Amino acid sequence: MTGGQAAGVADELRAVLAEVTGRGELLGIPVDTPLFGTGVGLDSLAGTLLLRQVQRRYGVDVAAEDLNLDSLATLGTLADFIAARI
Amino acid sequence: MTDSSAPGGTMIKCVVWDIDNTLLTGIYLESGQQLPDADPQLLGVLRELAGRGILHALASRNPPAAAEYVQQVTGTDFAAVECGWGSKPDAIRRIAADLGLTPDALAFVDDDMLERAEVAAALPDVLVLTPEDAAEVPDWPQFSPPVITAEARRRGQMYAERRRRQAAAAAFGGSRDDFLRHVGTRITIAPAGAADLHRLHELSVRTHQLNSAGEPVTEAELAGLLESPECRVVTVTLRDDFGDDGLVGAAIAIGNGGSPPTVTPAGPPPLPPAAPLVVTVPLAMMSCRALGRGALDALLAWLCRSAAATGAAELQVPCLVTDRNVPMRLALAAAGLRAEPGSVAADGRAIFARPLTGELPALADWVTVA
Repeated sequence: MTGGQAAGVADELRAVLAEVTGRGELLGIPVDTPLFGTGVGLDSLAGTLLLRQVQRRYGVDVAAEDLNLDSLATLGTLADFIAARI
Repeated sequence: MTDSSAPGGTMIKCVVWDIDNTLLTGIYLESGQQLPDADPQLLGVLRELAGRGILHALASRNPPAAAEYVQQVTGTDFAAVECGWGSKPDAIRRIAADLGLTPDALAFVDDDMLERAEVAAALPDVLVLTPEDAAEVPDWPQFSPPVITAEARRRGQMYAERRRRQAAAAAFGGSRDDFLRHVGTRITIAPAGAADLHRLHELSVRTHQLNSAGEPVTEAELAGLLESPECRVVTVTLRDDFGDDGLVGAAIAIGNGGSPPTVTPAGPPPLPPAAPLVVTVPLAMMSCRALGRGALDALLAWLCRSAAATGAAELQVPCLVTDRNVPMRLALAAAGLRAEPGSVAADGRAIFARPLTGELPALADWVTVA
């Protein structure tokens, strides 16, 4: 895995997040933005849609590999998690 | 709770209707200023079936405005609408997925023989009908559910409310919380009573995506929990400007340290508990109708806060770990609960826990605790 790969994944994840939440401003979030709580405010519905897209695009089943879903801490942690598996 | 087969085939739960020359007595796009009327005979069928709790949906090669028009002239709440130029089998598959139904619970009505043949070939479990057949279906056993509950009668209306809410959410620019406030969301958390037992049992059977326990609770078990002093059973009700969804969720919370410490105003302060008090939640569940509407977040925030208020040091939610209830795990993670990595037990459960110190999840201002 390279840093460049994770950066590319992060860009694609921004687009997915903007799509599943309907919020275009998420296209510009920094990689250290938290996905839960005050950051993106990911809830069950948006989170499920995000994980479904991740599985479809990268073949990575985050929920099966990460019991606590800690990979969803920030945009960057999720991008790293995926980049390490593709 | 079974999806029993009636004599003569599986019960039909949703009828997918074509528009042109089926529900309408002409072709929508070819009628100029004088739009075609609703077919009077099928209008009666729409109303009769809706009264039996059977859903209606539209699948049509037309612009979305045609669906709006049909909704208006028939006065029917359509649970799902597929307007476009794609194939009918694809439209029917999307409708089935959207409503959580299997193809054998669907009927499809179209005047066009080729469309009927395409659907019959691609989806052999769907009951394919001509408009003439459809006029007679109120007499068919597959369209005559043995019991019609009040909730069933409201089902079509609730799906239509959901469709309108989703359209409003798609057009709304702000965050989820801004949207929930904008549409007048009201969530109420209240102690469960005997009158709720039937619905709570039903929810424990029907909920999967947002269910921590993954197994049903009987009415008798629930009644016992209501009597137990260490146990709190709470319900969650949900409504907004689009409609009232009623009782959508519940949780059971049990304190392991006996009854919560009682503070008597005049007496000495209570002794600190010998061991840290833990509040365990054997079941948290929520209807998928409430997904994305803040109801589970509210319930988990309340569980943290009410447990902390009893003096407990930790909240524990044993949760079945499956690929079906990932939405429940997302909500647990968002509320700050974590399990020991690799701690999934032989029964498929892991204990998700969080300390009740520091900053607890906030209760949004549209949540009322009764």
